[in-house]
Amino acid sequence: MKVIGASLLVYALLVAPHEGEFWPFSIYPMFSQAGNPWTRAMILDVTSKPDAELWERQLLDKRDSDVVAVSDYGVDQIDFSNFVVKTRDWTPSRLSALKEMFGTSAISGERWMVTKVRGELVGRDSVSIEISPYILLTPDSTYLNPNLSESDYGGQN
Amino acid sequence: MTWYEKIGNQLFEPGRDQTPGEVVFFKLFELFVVFYTIKFAWEWGIYTEMRNIEVVLPLGLAKYIDVSVFFDNQLAVINAAFITLISIMSYLRLGYKWQYMVVMVLLHVQYVARFSQGEIPHSQNLIGMAVFCFAVGAIFFPDKKKMPRFVIGSIIFFIGLGYTSAFFAKLVGTGLSWFDGRHLWLWIGEKSIDILSREGLWAPNFLQSLALQSTIVASIILLIGWFTELIGFTMWFKKFRPFTTLMLIGMHFGITMTMNIRFDAFVMQLILVGFPWYILLDRYIKTTPPLLKRIL
Repeated sequence: MKVIGASLLVYALLVAPHEGEFWPFSIYPMFSQAGNPWTRAMILDVTSKPDAELWERQLLDKRDSDVVAVSDYGVDQIDFSNFVVKTRDWTPSRLSALKEMFGTSAISGERWMVTKVRGELVGRDSVSIEISPYILLTPDSTYLNPNLSESDYGGQN
Repeated sequence: MTWYEKIGNQLFEPGRDQTPGEVVFFKLFELFVVFYTIKFAWEWGIYTEMRNIEVVLPLGLAKYIDVSVFFDNQLAVINAAFITLISIMSYLRLGYKWQYMVVMVLLHVQYVARFSQGEIPHSQNLIGMAVFCFAVGAIFFPDKKKMPRFVIGSIIFFIGLGYTSAFFAKLVGTGLSWFDGRHLWLWIGEKSIDILSREGLWAPNFLQSLALQSTIVASIILLIGWFTELIGFTMWFKKFRPFTTLMLIGMHFGITMTMNIRFDAFVMQLILVGFPWYILLDRYIKTTPPLLKRIL
């Protein structure tokens, strides 16, 4: 039990200053804070969508574009989601990395809208899920949402 | 006898003789851990080489070293090759007794390089904890009887601890209202976006539909899961272990059904360490195979 105790001490010393995670040691804090709004990312195929409607927000159940399945490009959807949501400064290299994630020729002939999807509890008995256009990817370029401010992209662009 | 000595007796059973079934089970379990260690090392290594471009979330050692060097130069693949070689040598007991600790460190580096993109998965944690227990066991208890007992006992100890700490993390993070069914609605919504993003489509299954129709049903699902986490530490006690393990497996099945999170290696490992398989093996195996004796 002394060796277990020493291992436990190492466990605690590594986990404590690292927000509960030092793989494989963990206090398993996932899902510990319940009820908070969440934000994920998703790609919509907006190739045939009129330019005037590209940047409009929409509710998930009123969505008018198909979702691009990121697994078709060998990308882990949670990696992709976190890459979009957790990036604070959208530097040119970050924008380029977002596109390269799917392979250089993935978007050929299409237009992909990287969106942020936010879910929250509304009132006593419903969950609202809203899709916000964030970054437009085309074969040649990337475009930021003109309705958002520079600070929404870290003010670096 | 102190309380911790009593727990130690339950975990390590020092008074029980080693049987052929226990030896066979232990080497099969070690093979399972080595197999998943190698599998994860290559999966993480290849993904890191092909997909990772920038560090978004530095975890563990990645806070102190720049793991982006593993994104190029085939370093992640070379690391996977080293992990493979040292794991196999350790399994065969060739080389030094600290080799599993090297595997542990290299696998940690492989994990933090792969998961530097923002995701913090937990389904591979038990394999990592098992490697850690093999590493500590090989160094401090190289004896052929003590090492298997230490490894299996310490894995059970850390599994029980992990579940119970997860219960308290929720109690501290949210309070008693954690099991409010609407929280499950939010998580189902969140995971539905992950599945939609991955597959291009998502439809709720039977259990998700049931939970989404009633806060009471959703609350009961969360309460059962939360209670199961609380009693995770009862795995430390031999009499309770199989029942607690069954409840934990049921909880993981529920998590998979409601939140689409799979824990394949995690659940397989629970099945392996949560039940006394050696008793079953002893019915059919009367002598320890000489080869296994050599590599124990």
